[in-house]
Amino acid sequence: MSETTDQPVVETPEGAGKSDMIVLEGVEKIYPGSDAPAVSQLDMAIPQGEIVMLIGPSGCGKTTTLKMINRLIEPTAGRILLDGKDVTHVNGDQLRREIGYVIQQGGLFPHFSIADNIGVVPKMLGWDKQRIRARADELLHLVGLEPSTFRDRYPRQLSGGQQQRVGVARALAADPPVMLMDEPFGAIDPITRDRLQDEFLDIQRTVGKTIAFVTHDLQEAVKLGDKIAVFATGKLEQYDDPDTILTRPANDFVSDFVGGGAAVRRLSLVELAHLELHPIETDEKAADSRNGVAVAEVDGSGKPVSWRHLPGGDAAAVPLVTVPLSGTVYDAVDVMLDGSASLVAVVDEEGRAQGVLHWNDLVGGLRTRKGHA
Amino acid sequence: MSTATQGTVNVQAEEAVEEVEGKQEGGRLARLWMQHYDLVILPVIILLLLLLLFLYISTRDLDTIEERVLAADNVAGLLRQHLWLAFLSTVLVLVIAVPLGIALSRRGARKAQGPVLAVGGFAQALPPFGVLLLMAFWLDFGVTTAVIGLTLAALLPVLRNTVIGLQQVDQSLIEAARGMGMSARQTLFRVEIPLAVPVIVAGLRVALVLNVGTATLASYIGAGGLGELVQQALRLNRINVLLVAGGIIAALALLIDWLAGVVERVVVSRSG
Repeated sequence: MSETTDQPVVETPEGAGKSDMIVLEGVEKIYPGSDAPAVSQLDMAIPQGEIVMLIGPSGCGKTTTLKMINRLIEPTAGRILLDGKDVTHVNGDQLRREIGYVIQQGGLFPHFSIADNIGVVPKMLGWDKQRIRARADELLHLVGLEPSTFRDRYPRQLSGGQQQRVGVARALAADPPVMLMDEPFGAIDPITRDRLQDEFLDIQRTVGKTIAFVTHDLQEAVKLGDKIAVFATGKLEQYDDPDTILTRPANDFVSDFVGGGAAVRRLSLVELAHLELHPIETDEKAADSRNGVAVAEVDGSGKPVSWRHLPGGDAAAVPLVTVPLSGTVYDAVDVMLDGSASLVAVVDEEGRAQGVLHWNDLVGGLRTRKGHA
Repeated sequence: MSTATQGTVNVQAEEAVEEVEGKQEGGRLARLWMQHYDLVILPVIILLLLLLLFLYISTRDLDTIEERVLAADNVAGLLRQHLWLAFLSTVLVLVIAVPLGIALSRRGARKAQGPVLAVGGFAQALPPFGVLLLMAFWLDFGVTTAVIGLTLAALLPVLRNTVIGLQQVDQSLIEAARGMGMSARQTLFRVEIPLAVPVIVAGLRVALVLNVGTATLASYIGAGGLGELVQQALRLNRINVLLVAGGIIAALALLIDWLAGVVERVVVSRSG
């Protein structure tokens, strides 16, 4: 299963005219009273509009690196460039107002209403009240919270997931080109975290920010990252796209860190929409042809409900399970295991069947659609 | 007592404004009552005690000396002096201890926290009566000395609560504030202090009640106050006067504590 496809399926528009938004040059941090640098001689460039996941064990310097980008921690040596401009010595407070910042559990101020929390940076930038209010409403919409319900509430009246959404909205308030996120989904239950990650990717598709994102969760790094930077004790061990990190770890440290299960993790990189699926028929007349095509029974709205005919199998014995076309092979496997089904119907947004993925395809090699490889 | 009732009405009105919009007036009042009905108990008890005292005294035959001492304007004058002493010293405590506590909680000054709090503890441990007398010999007899003595004795609770109140502010909130570009000063005034206010106010409440009680001793160094009433009663050997003096002093302390408690609750409900 280590080679599900011949080529990486993730889109890697390398050198596609993108300039580097964040550049670290020989950045180093030595804390007072310590001999060993927390981060040593770090060179790293984050292209505009990409999400880079900083990952590594505790004390590896990933958070220090993140906080040096907005100079919450002052680097001991080296240069930091934002959009080509050297920001190593500019006023730190001014700089931070132009960089979005999200921390664990949102870090919302309990004595500010939700709207006031979102308005913190715009207020410091001197926006007028109307504009701040309109912006808060707009962002609440963006993160899926109804403004009229939420704008006047206080953080303690919100769930953890809702608070985190507000945290993201707050970071986006002044529309900064760069966002720094420090384990934002770390303290959230797995189900909510998964949903927040999906929403986060949706939002990113709209806003296209350059994002540095610290996590300790490899699953999260693979799911969200355009690139992953693996750190070990102050050193950048590997900086590549998720697929390369998983399949070709640069050294023993990275391969240990990635650990077993890399092949399974990689499944979440393969999007179903990019795969050549087996055909599926829902037309009743097709049932007569029995030409090796799976036929599904559909309900009134065209959603498949059970199998009518399966080539080489007992259609009645196999439950019909579905997975959305927007999901990944990982989701498909999950659904198959969960439903004890050897195949899964892939459905579009309206719930109509688009194709079939067989369990055997996983070990037999997945075929990607032309133009997507 | 009219002050007390007035206080409740004000608090309710203010908290009502505080509540989220769109709720019905009736429901809002009902909820306020559910949350704060315990606040009514103490004033009722104080009122009953004062009433009993008044009824008892009115059944007694008072001689001219007693009548003169217990005359409304004499008692009211001493009460005013007493409140003034307590108020002045509490304001001084506020002005000295809160900024000092804030300064001590800044990164550069944290090492000084231990010693300063120790000195504060020492000042509190000294018996106020002794301090007042010694200070009177050292400085002068009168109101100024009394206020200084009271201030010293009540400094610690506010100082300690200011330091603790700022310490317990979630570090991640301070980081969030700095991370969004607030300066150290903005972070202090917009995040740290507002979040520490409930704890600081609790300290001020302790200081105020302490001062109202200790101000009774101010009469011994000629600063007046309700202690004067006690002294007169003892000097003239009038048990009825002593009873009234004790009753008023106790009722005042309870009432001030109650008022401070109400204020504290408003502050807490505001700061989330």
